[in-house]
Amino acid sequence: MSSRDQRVHKGISSLVARLHVDIPGEDPESAEERQNNAIDFVTELLQSSKTPAVVADVNQASDLIKKRLIQTNASPEKALRFSQLYSRLLSIPVISQKWAVLYLLYQLGDQQQPSYVPPALTSPFKSPIKRPEKRKLEQRLTPQHSPPQSSRRDINEFEEAFAPEGLRRLPERPGGQKDRKAEDEAFNKNPATQRGIVTLKTALLAENYVEIDPPESALLRDLPFTLQGLSSTNLPFGTTKTLKIPPTLPVPIVSILHTLAEPSLLYRGLASFVKSADGGLLGQSLRAAIGGELRSYLGLVAILEGQIRRALSSLDENEPRGGIGKAGVTLKRCVVWTREATMGLRLMSLISEESKSKRGGQLISLIHGFSSSHGDPMVGAFAERLLVHVTRPFYDMLRHWIYDGELSDPYHEFFVSEQDPNAVTEAPEGKGRGGASSVWEDKYKLDEDMVPSIITQDFAQKVFLIGKSLNFIRYGCGDSQWVEKYSKAASKELRYGDTETLETWIDEAYKTTMARLIHLMAEKFHLFEHLKALKNYILLGQGDFIALLMESLSSNLDRPAGAQYRHTLTAQLEHAIRGSNAQYDSPEVLRRLDARMLQLSHGDIGWDCFTLEYKIDAPVDVVVTDWGNRQYLKVFNFLWRIKRVEFALSLTWRKCMTGARGVLQGEDDSVAQAWKLTRGVLAEMIHFIGQLQYYILFEVIESSWDELQTAIHREGCTLDDLIKAHTKYLNAITHKGLLGAKKKYHGEVDENTFMVQLGEVLRLMLSYRDAVDGLYSYSVAEFTRRQGADLRSEAQSRREDDEGHLINTPRSTRRGPRHVDSTPAQPADEGISDEFPVLRERLQGLGGHFKSRVCLLLGDLAYQPDVDMRFLGVVMNFNDVYQPVRKKHKSKETVRAAVTAAAKS
Amino acid sequence: MPPEYDARQDKQARAAQAKQVVDIFLEISTLLNSELDRETLSVCISLIENGINPEALAGVVRELRKEGEEIKKEIRGGQE
Repeated sequence: MSSRDQRVHKGISSLVARLHVDIPGEDPESAEERQNNAIDFVTELLQSSKTPAVVADVNQASDLIKKRLIQTNASPEKALRFSQLYSRLLSIPVISQKWAVLYLLYQLGDQQQPSYVPPALTSPFKSPIKRPEKRKLEQRLTPQHSPPQSSRRDINEFEEAFAPEGLRRLPERPGGQKDRKAEDEAFNKNPATQRGIVTLKTALLAENYVEIDPPESALLRDLPFTLQGLSSTNLPFGTTKTLKIPPTLPVPIVSILHTLAEPSLLYRGLASFVKSADGGLLGQSLRAAIGGELRSYLGLVAILEGQIRRALSSLDENEPRGGIGKAGVTLKRCVVWTREATMGLRLMSLISEESKSKRGGQLISLIHGFSSSHGDPMVGAFAERLLVHVTRPFYDMLRHWIYDGELSDPYHEFFVSEQDPNAVTEAPEGKGRGGASSVWEDKYKLDEDMVPSIITQDFAQKVFLIGKSLNFIRYGCGDSQWVEKYSKAASKELRYGDTETLETWIDEAYKTTMARLIHLMAEKFHLFEHLKALKNYILLGQGDFIALLMESLSSNLDRPAGAQYRHTLTAQLEHAIRGSNAQYDSPEVLRRLDARMLQLSHGDIGWDCFTLEYKIDAPVDVVVTDWGNRQYLKVFNFLWRIKRVEFALSLTWRKCMTGARGVLQGEDDSVAQAWKLTRGVLAEMIHFIGQLQYYILFEVIESSWDELQTAIHREGCTLDDLIKAHTKYLNAITHKGLLGAKKKYHGEVDENTFMVQLGEVLRLMLSYRDAVDGLYSYSVAEFTRRQGADLRSEAQSRREDDEGHLINTPRSTRRGPRHVDSTPAQPADEGISDEFPVLRERLQGLGGHFKSRVCLLLGDLAYQPDVDMRFLGVVMNFNDVYQPVRKKHKSKETVRAAVTAAAKS
Repeated sequence: MPPEYDARQDKQARAAQAKQVVDIFLEISTLLNSELDRETLSVCISLIENGINPEALAGVVRELRKEGEEIKKEIRGGQE
């Protein structure tokens, strides 16, 4: 390369020499020095800028020259001349850097140009608006004026050069492909060349540029303010939702500004949304999250502003388009830079709009919907980011709820809501449940609409239970120390994201809380003992106690209800407890046992009103609710009646049995027959009562109790499970115990419940017993009379033996020693003898009635869906003594007919 | 007219062609009003052919001219 350097050096020195100006009177030495300096300067300058800033392309230089010629001269003559020269030049292969020489000439050409010509080929337009028209005119004219000698190719090139698209295909060059290849390589190797392409493109675009008002630079200057939602001179905001764009702008710029106006307006809307204060905690956190996003948007705007400032400061006002094309910041570029931010703003404004009608969990669901089910991953990621901030208060509430059992939700945004106590009592379902029950059942409510989609319904249920239990432990069970200790020990910060950990924590909390609650119920409040006591005393499980109580109370209770006094009842109860195994029960249980009278109505006797009561207080009444208490009472009353009938029947039976050995033995066949029948019916009744009692106590209560036991001792049993199990237990007892079972057709429900039927049967039994007692007294009276007669006859015979004249005295006239007064005895005897047929008839009637009733009952039982109840029927009628009747067929038909008729009309 | 000469004639033809090229360039130069005389132009062409950046060269030429201009002005000023 040294030869080349030499040549270059030589060239430079000759160039300097050529351009050197002699100063007259200067000594040759200094002239030479000045020349040398010039040479050094030139060499340095030339060596430093090795690469051209423009594309190495012959055509480009020639295009530029052509343009220059056309622009500077009115006629196309010179341009045509140049075209000819150019085509000739191309045909000569001697030099390789034709374009460079052309470019040199081009550069040197117009001396009027500003001192430094930028690489971006400048256009000397002075009045750009006028220019295009002129150029178009020339474009139109040129082909017509093209001289005939110019070749076709020249015309093509000529036209090509004026093609508004600017860049065009490279013309094939006679110089051969080699040059092209070398050039291409230079293209690829040299980034500066690449930059050159861009500059060239911008330069060509600049050629088509039309001046706008206000200028783009002014618009750019205003743009940062617009993006921040601030009005500026050129782009003032109208109302909150409009941006005024200067009407003088051409359409493309307007469309660009429209695109840029979108983020600006969205920002304005969002900024006002962030400033607005309504909405709960979640709404506020949403605002904060959006505010954060807006800050980062403002950061972007600031960067943009910096870029714009820098670009504008480096602008040269004299250049075309204000030199914006060169500065690297244009409106279009701003559009590109703000595009992603615009997407974010758009999403946020959508969320803010939607959030106005939503609150709490729904808000989270809304954003979570974007993050989980939106197809655009960018939107998903964005929503996810928002979600982390937005859910913070939600997780705070959740933490308070599951670790402290407190609902800190001033805006009702959590999915658990506290019930208004007044609303609860007024609610139709609130059957006056009081005390702890309402703390558990009604104090808090799970609002399914508010459960955010980030947690499942099951999960929400669990969370609800945890908090409710903690709250209950604290307020219902008075164990706030434990809750505090627990909340200190277990409290963890919850946040959005790691659902799995959250679930484990919540499961943990759930287990701990539930275990604690059950533990409290069992140990501190003796729930299970209470249940057992209820079964023993109210459901008559404790046989010896009940028997003793009944025995001691029976004489008392036979009197009218008005004559019952509480103190006597409690005294008898105390006696029964002392005298039975109940005395070994814990005082805690016995303290709650009480005897009292129910509301009495006219004509009731003590038996109807007496009841035992087991007092349950908070918090156990969560399980044994008021409703439960009523059920217990109902069962007790029913059982008590059965017991009483059994007691009465067995008393009568005992009397009959003992009497049969003595007083009931008589010669009268009809009386003996009556007794026989009576004993039969009595046995039937006792069998019936026995079966009924057996059924209720063993088949119903014990089996249900067993189920209850397994249910409440199951692992992981919650208080809700307990309540449910207990309710089921009571329902099973009342249903199977013939207390609640309704017959299928509703028209006659009241008359046809088993309760009513059984009541009828029991009443029949009691009347029968009365009748039997009547028969017994009759028999006793008869016996006494007979005995008296015997005594008299004995005495008479003795007297006859003694006196011998009294044998023929009629028996009726004889007076025993007890019947001193004969006058009243005579009618009494007659009364008794008159009484017998009435008694017999009554007994027969009652017995028949009883049988038919039992048959009916059995008929009903046989068609019960419940196996146990059918079993009761079978047990009672094990040897088919009774013919079960379904007498209701007919009435059922009529009822149906009536119903269908009613429906038709 | 593609050059199809023998190697012998090559040198001669080259010289002719070079002259032709310089002619053409000179004409273009006059068209563009770039105020270059033939010698300066040929020096410039040769410099460019040797890989000098045309842009820089143009700058240099302009610079030298300006300098010359100034010197001339000075001289004139001195004479007056």
